[in-house]
Amino acid sequence: MKIVGEKYARSDGVVKVRGEALYTTDLQFPGMLFGAIFRSPVAAGRILHLDISAAENSPGVHKIITASDAPRHRHGLVVDDEQIFTSSDITYAGEPIAAIAATSLAEALAALKKIRIEIDEITPIVDLHEAIDPKCRLIHQGWKDFGAPEELFRSNNIVGQMVYDDGDVDKILNGSDFVIENEFVAGRQYQAYMEPKGVVASYENGRFTVHVSHQFPFNVRDRLAKALGIKSSAIRVVGHHIGGGFGGKLDLGIEPFACVLAKSTGRPVKLIQSRAEDMATCPVRENAIIHLRTGVNRDGQIIATDMDVIMDAGAAAGDTPYLSSIPLFLAGAPYKSGRTRVRCRVVYTNTPSTGAFRGVSGTYINFAVERQMDEIAKVIGMDRRQLRLKNLLHDGDCFLNGQVLSDASILDEAFALVESRAPWTTTGKGKLRGVGIAAAVWLTNPLPGSATMKLNEDGTLGLITAATENGSGAVAMGLRQIAAQEFGLEPDDVLISMPDTDVAGYDAGSQGSRTTHVVGRAIQEASIELRSKIISVAAEVLEALPGDIEIVDGQVGVAGVPASRIPLSSIAIAAKSMAGPLVATGSYRTPAPEYNHQCATGLLFTTFPTLTYHVHLAEVEVDPATGNTTVLRYIVAQEVGKVVNPDGVRGQIQGGVAQGLGYVLYENLDIGTDGKYRQKTLEAYRLPIAGDIPEVEIMLLEHPDLAGPHGVRGVAEPPIVPVAAAIANAISDAIGAPLNTIPVRPIDVLDGIRWAQEVHPDRQV
Amino acid sequence: MKLSLTVNGRQESLDVEVGTSLLHVLREQLGLTGTKEGCAEGECGACTVLRDGKPIDSCIMAAHACEQSEITTIEVIGDSPDHPSELQNCLVESGGIQCGFCTPGFVMVLTALLKVNAAPTDAEIKHALAGNICRCTGYAQIIEAVIATAKTHQ
Ligand code: FES
Ligand code: FES
Repeated sequence: MKIVGEKYARSDGVVKVRGEALYTTDLQFPGMLFGAIFRSPVAAGRILHLDISAAENSPGVHKIITASDAPRHRHGLVVDDEQIFTSSDITYAGEPIAAIAATSLAEALAALKKIRIEIDEITPIVDLHEAIDPKCRLIHQGWKDFGAPEELFRSNNIVGQMVYDDGDVDKILNGSDFVIENEFVAGRQYQAYMEPKGVVASYENGRFTVHVSHQFPFNVRDRLAKALGIKSSAIRVVGHHIGGGFGGKLDLGIEPFACVLAKSTGRPVKLIQSRAEDMATCPVRENAIIHLRTGVNRDGQIIATDMDVIMDAGAAAGDTPYLSSIPLFLAGAPYKSGRTRVRCRVVYTNTPSTGAFRGVSGTYINFAVERQMDEIAKVIGMDRRQLRLKNLLHDGDCFLNGQVLSDASILDEAFALVESRAPWTTTGKGKLRGVGIAAAVWLTNPLPGSATMKLNEDGTLGLITAATENGSGAVAMGLRQIAAQEFGLEPDDVLISMPDTDVAGYDAGSQGSRTTHVVGRAIQEASIELRSKIISVAAEVLEALPGDIEIVDGQVGVAGVPASRIPLSSIAIAAKSMAGPLVATGSYRTPAPEYNHQCATGLLFTTFPTLTYHVHLAEVEVDPATGNTTVLRYIVAQEVGKVVNPDGVRGQIQGGVAQGLGYVLYENLDIGTDGKYRQKTLEAYRLPIAGDIPEVEIMLLEHPDLAGPHGVRGVAEPPIVPVAAAIANAISDAIGAPLNTIPVRPIDVLDGIRWAQEVHPDRQV
Repeated sequence: MKLSLTVNGRQESLDVEVGTSLLHVLREQLGLTGTKEGCAEGECGACTVLRDGKPIDSCIMAAHACEQSEITTIEVIGDSPDHPSELQNCLVESGGIQCGFCTPGFVMVLTALLKVNAAPTDAEIKHALAGNICRCTGYAQIIEAVIATAKTHQ
């Protein structure tokens, strides 16, 4: 029976379509209280006076907690620059100062308004160039004392710094036929998962139980333990359906507040962010400035690259120190960069902190690299696609860290596939139409996972894992089908538990497209053991040699004797009176590829394992009256290793492209001089709606990854990576002007049209 | 203040504070959590229910404005857990569901659409969905599900 590769409906489809699926926001517990967080109204300053007395006497209030009665350990994912509550310095607008638990949410919110605070306000630092200046006021006075890895090379407001240098880059740049220099700017992008962040926490017998809709329950456990100053075993994190995450629900969020309130009231406390609060305070994709100089020979060969990146961490580092490594990989892929220097600095500002969003910094670094390719082509007078093919990586070429890309020639195939669908020389022609192309190499996150499998007494399979179903289908389709395939069962006969850190082995969360690849492999490891247990019981039951037993389509029998087959359920029942229940566990982590450990300083993210390859093409039309862009066609060629479920793969590519389209055309959290976002509602933020998104034309490549289950590589994260570049290149082509800022707003398009007419008055627009 | 309305065919008489949203009444007072809150500002459509057969954002609808109205929520679409509606089946089959948080709202809007227009075009579907945001799917498989539903009715 072939299950992997086939179309099967997802396991949670029916409960979701009927509204029965419970998300954290739907949970109710007896005696439950409702929480709310009092946050700083200003972005920078010092608290002079805090008065909670009126709020404490407000109806329904059970407890108000401030820094003086909460744990005050410094904590953080990489740098210990966070605290549950601030008692003095304010580093961003929205920084938590107190938390309230009340009988109802309305009472909690009413009490919130009665908290009085006096702040000695100072001007927030929001500009990256200002913040990075060594003479700038420190965002964190005590930065030197924060726990952090040595190799971050922190100094003043710089919280992470990665430097790579081949040497002599300036010399080669100066000697090249052409030097193309551009600056690219990217704004912040909000994940805008449809379920705002929430948590319900309770405290009994010295342990916390924390209910979440989170992509990474074990990270919640471990980060909470540090924040609360307790053992991780004193925390149980229970996962529920997740209303979207896209990286925004990987790090610790508002869980500590629910925990401190639950402990102090002795009641379960539910804390759900409003959309406005979620938007204003949660870590979003960072804004950044990329300066790029490229040396090119007359024949189009790139011989030198100098990339300098400044990323905005906001007021806390979060995972951004890791992200400073991404430019190293993308500066030298998918195109050879010649002699190269890459520097990336991550900088504190008085703004809400930034963090992971699908594709992370890859989205805008790819934008810079691919926009630069178009600008190079224009300067040297070469066809844009030809320039790319000339510099493309091939089998055996290396990333700048020395890691060999053994199968990079897949990129050639991907370019050819796109060409077969949308011929370059005839696509995007016509007035105010344009075509753009962009390619990318991406990784599959290697972090560890595990699976426990049991053969149930009715012949179904139980799968216990802390892998999370964030909506992608990685669990509800991918893992379910991989597990079913191992025993020839129907996917419906595989029952998957919700994540629970007390029950399942460690799992590194739904990030970097890792779940199907890594946990799928763990399932295969567990299956080897479970099969051998089944076979030894079956051998006894069937009075045959273990070597002669086969498992076929959910049945066990003697090989070659179909009449001997009995259902798996009878083996599970028999096992109870023999060796005992049939349970097995498997673990997996992708081995790290070889790389040059001395290649760079500050490299926290050292390799790109389990590679995927991507070529995207966009055809657009621009409205010269409004500056609006319509994406007419969007084509994706993507290497996926092996399709597990075609609907799942398609949904990830279609959805990833939609988010990329929003990123490049509409979405932006503008930071005001007050350190707050100008967009305060979803409407102002402008997410893509159905009418904005074309049906993506998808062409898949399936070169199996040798380590992946059935050859699977990661699928879900990278479809967003080249989208901004492909679409911006298409618009630039349509109007004849460079567009080097994300998002490309209608006003930028109109300015571009005007600029192009001034520069090339004879060009037909 | 008293509020009488029909919810999913059942007559309800409730004590509701003035200014309370219909969404709050449904979720917190009647325990109908299938209707979701994505923004509480009328911007995402996750809270869509039918009021006298027409889709509305229940988060910005004052409960008292629904006095004597007939409200239909996701809980009664389809006959039973084993028999979802044709549209629901098609959404599951097409892969038009990912995280599922937007899904009840889409089902309500599209159920209403199919009632007045049994075979909507692509443009008509997109028009009907202008107030519903799905961050996961990129919409294509949702639209396909509507077209598939229309086909089964022919
Ligand atoms: S919750 Fe009502 S429109 Fe978003
Ligand atoms: S399925 Fe997640 S928002 Fe639509």
